[in-house]
Amino acid sequence: MFTHKKDQSMAQSANHETIIAQGVKVEGDFHSQGDVIIDGEVTGSLETAQALTIGERARIHANVIAKTAIVAGEVKGNMHVAERLELLATSVVEGDVQTANLSIASGATINGKISMGNGKGVTE
Amino acid sequence: MYCYLYDEFIQEHKRFERELLLIENRLTDLGIAGKISRLALFRNAEEMIRDEIERGVKTVVVLGNDETMRKILDVISESDVVLGLIPIGPKNELARLLGIPQGVAACDVLSARRVEQIDVGTINGRKFITGITVPNFKAELMCNDGHYRIVATSQANLEIQNLADIANPCDGILEATIHASVRSGWLGRTHKTQSILPFQSLAIRSEKPIQLFADGQEMQGTRFDIGIEPMMLKVIIGKQHVFTTALI
Repeated sequence: MFTHKKDQSMAQSANHETIIAQGVKVEGDFHSQGDVIIDGEVTGSLETAQALTIGERARIHANVIAKTAIVAGEVKGNMHVAERLELLATSVVEGDVQTANLSIASGATINGKISMGNGKGVTE
Repeated sequence: MYCYLYDEFIQEHKRFERELLLIENRLTDLGIAGKISRLALFRNAEEMIRDEIERGVKTVVVLGNDETMRKILDVISESDVVLGLIPIGPKNELARLLGIPQGVAACDVLSARRVEQIDVGTINGRKFITGITVPNFKAELMCNDGHYRIVATSQANLEIQNLADIANPCDGILEATIHASVRSGWLGRTHKTQSILPFQSLAIRSEKPIQLFADGQEMQGTRFDIGIEPMMLKVIIGKQHVFTTALI
């Protein structure tokens, strides 16, 4: 019963954007069906079916799942991005990354495994 | 069949006498005059309206302000009747948000009868239309059946909106906005940030009692459960009025 309610709730909020700005902290399993912009803190897990933007001041201590992602801040946790992951010059990722399409700007830091495509080709 | 609910304050103040006369004449001209129910001390507004609905009233029109409307919101939203407003005097934010002009001009809006079904928010079982404000927000928001919680790490205010200048009351979604003041840089300058969270249900939890305002009415407590009842209220809105959503 509760699962059904949750699914309905998420479907209806599909077009709404969530913004977690500086000065706000999220703890737990954060799930969204819409676009998510983070400039604050997240601990736990972070999942969205749409686009995720992690700002320069964001501090993410969570495993991340998203359709597409642009990262400018800090992520401590594994990232699974279905389509395209863009790591900007200020980004720091400490964890494994899995994505279909990856862009890394000069200055970005990654400490972890990178898997692309079907996950067979692994770079460390 | 129309029922007009006159708030006590418009009957007591002489300054509204002439305006009431104009309104009554205009309603008669437009052919939408109906029964008049007058609020008074020791008369329960909800009971009065419930009786009128049982007698077959299909439209209840409030003559007064936001406070008058709040007195009958629960009973109206639980029935199938249409709510109309003729705003008189100050504190008429709801009418403004629905595009209804003050005084006698509202009669023409009633006559045009553009009915819209809007969402109604609930807080601890009580209904609200516009929203909730929590000044000095130091509590936590429990979302998605407690799967995650949100806290403000600096001084903040919380607003939850259903009907506002840039909130659509027909989308089945409430929007929580946390306005935080954040210090940054070497000089510790303060800047404002805005977090936005769309939701259908959430809970506010606090160890100490906090104060909040639902539709402007004060509530105090440590636990508040907030939800939405989509398309619960039929209301007459302004002829040209359009509900808009924020573009971020």
